[in-house]
Amino acid sequence: MIPFEIGIGSVLVIVVLIYAGLYIPVALGLVSFVGVWIMLGDVQKPINLLAVAAADTISHQVFATVPLFAMMGLLVSKAKLGNDVYQVANFIFYKIRGGLGIATVAANAVFAAITGSSIASASVFARISVPEMRKFGYTTRFSVGVVAGSSVLGMIIPPSAMLIIYAITADQSIGQLFIAGIIPGVLLAVAFSVAILLMAKISPRFVGGPGVVDVPAVSEEWQSLTLLDVCRKLTPVVLLVVVVLGGIYGGIVTPVEAGAAGSLAALLIAILRRCMSLADFWECLVETGHITASILFLIVAASMYSRMLGVAGLPTLFDAWLGEQGFGIVGLMVIYVILLILLGTIIDTASMILIVAPLFLPAVEALGLDLIWFGIITVIGAEIGLLTPPLGISCFVIKSTLNDPDITLKDIFVGAFPFAVIMLLVLIALIAWPELSLALL
Amino acid sequence: MAETSYPAPLTSGAGRSFENLVKLLNGIGSLWILALLILINADVFGRNLMHAPISGVVEMVEISMIAIVFLQLGDATRVGRLTRSDGFFGIILQRRPRIGHAMGAAFDFLGALFMFFILYGSWPSLVEAWVLDDYVGNEGVFTAPRWPMLFILIFGSLITLLLFLTFVGRHLRAYRAAGGPEGKAI
Repeated sequence: MIPFEIGIGSVLVIVVLIYAGLYIPVALGLVSFVGVWIMLGDVQKPINLLAVAAADTISHQVFATVPLFAMMGLLVSKAKLGNDVYQVANFIFYKIRGGLGIATVAANAVFAAITGSSIASASVFARISVPEMRKFGYTTRFSVGVVAGSSVLGMIIPPSAMLIIYAITADQSIGQLFIAGIIPGVLLAVAFSVAILLMAKISPRFVGGPGVVDVPAVSEEWQSLTLLDVCRKLTPVVLLVVVVLGGIYGGIVTPVEAGAAGSLAALLIAILRRCMSLADFWECLVETGHITASILFLIVAASMYSRMLGVAGLPTLFDAWLGEQGFGIVGLMVIYVILLILLGTIIDTASMILIVAPLFLPAVEALGLDLIWFGIITVIGAEIGLLTPPLGISCFVIKSTLNDPDITLKDIFVGAFPFAVIMLLVLIALIAWPELSLALL
Repeated sequence: MAETSYPAPLTSGAGRSFENLVKLLNGIGSLWILALLILINADVFGRNLMHAPISGVVEMVEISMIAIVFLQLGDATRVGRLTRSDGFFGIILQRRPRIGHAMGAAFDFLGALFMFFILYGSWPSLVEAWVLDDYVGNEGVFTAPRWPMLFILIFGSLITLLLFLTFVGRHLRAYRAAGGPEGKAI
């Protein structure tokens, strides 16, 4: 039982060090190093383990999806496609009470289908839709809350960086996870929209907007969009969705190739729209490099951690322990979701998936549960943390993007809270009905 | 994440050249990503439109990933992009700068130590790959010598190690400058 205790001890030490502020890859790698050293009593073994993890973990072509989809997201943000999608969504929804909120959700859902990052969604729509909503009388809290809440769609609706990270951790197909993310993503977007309608009806003063405050419903220029304008504004987005999701779903390209083709298409669109200078492009490449290095280095360190767990036999023993407790599927999922939400208050989504999922995967597999479905649950559960204090990353991104002293972090957290609750409800539905995730496969 | 006062950039001549080296490596990594983008697209279009696939793309992508990551790890570290949860640490740095900088120095030292272990553990593989003329990839499709990748891995780790040590130095200087526990953050 000694290795088991060392394993548990290592996990706890890692969490404490991460809370204290140590770099997450360093915490994972060094603690795993010490753990394996104590368990095996020979310092050469953990050194070899570190070296093997560093050289072999990322030597597989699926890891190229990380830089390629990161680049696509950056190029799409530069191409200002978000503005066009938001204008069209406003044109469709402005007559409804709470309409600009629903438009933000809808635009985010569409935007999510061409980027893989909630951070990108949060920063793009904080700039576009918060000023617009406040102009038309929506309350600050509601405006920032909608943007924060709907930004999580970015990582659930494919392509999604977090689904890629889960796929790597659980050794599942990226393509299948992407397809499985579609219905849950749309469901979440619909749930957000229904919630906005209800909020506008039940507590109009939290929402604000036309009808509550004396303002026009929408600016004149937006009322006069013609069908041709709508088509013109949506064509680039549809094109990108077809290239990426169509390519993967149709089996024409692998996820890596879809990322490359999507990036190229986004680059061409940005150039045609004159949004891309050579300096801009270089900036995108450098930023892609930073994202890639930080995510893949994290994955390298996480593989050291999962090797350490393997040496300790922790996942197997954890599975046996769960079996003895007789939790069953429901109990297991309750523990899992609570753990994700608690850790999500302070650890970023990618690190959380890499730390928590390996512990649970053997138990989930032993219960005969679907690992694709489990991936969707993992990502949505982990993403709730983007909206909750003290470290809801989406909320921080919105705060720093808006850079407006009148909007406090508290406003953003309060505004986002209803959306976090809805995410939890949708998550429960997805757990109860796995078909929702698996129907399209 | 919360705002954290990271140490100020290097200003000495040697410091600047080192920083330029880190940026140069990052630039090479960025160009490498661009090359992959072009290569993969050429393969997709060649295969689907002209029935002329490029052989060995998968293998080339595979060996590129390590090179890209370790070329860019230094710069990502330099600009504060290594993943960390700095809410608690940020508060300590602000309210108790001396304790905060002591913690910061310890964290960056651990970072250096981690890079040292990776470097030290990978060294024998580099020697072996060089001596035995090892290659990676699939014979007949695409092969490349193994040592350049291991060299980049070790060199990138060394650069990141040195960078962590400069961070340690800056935290220690800030620690001294902060005076007592009531001192100000830099």
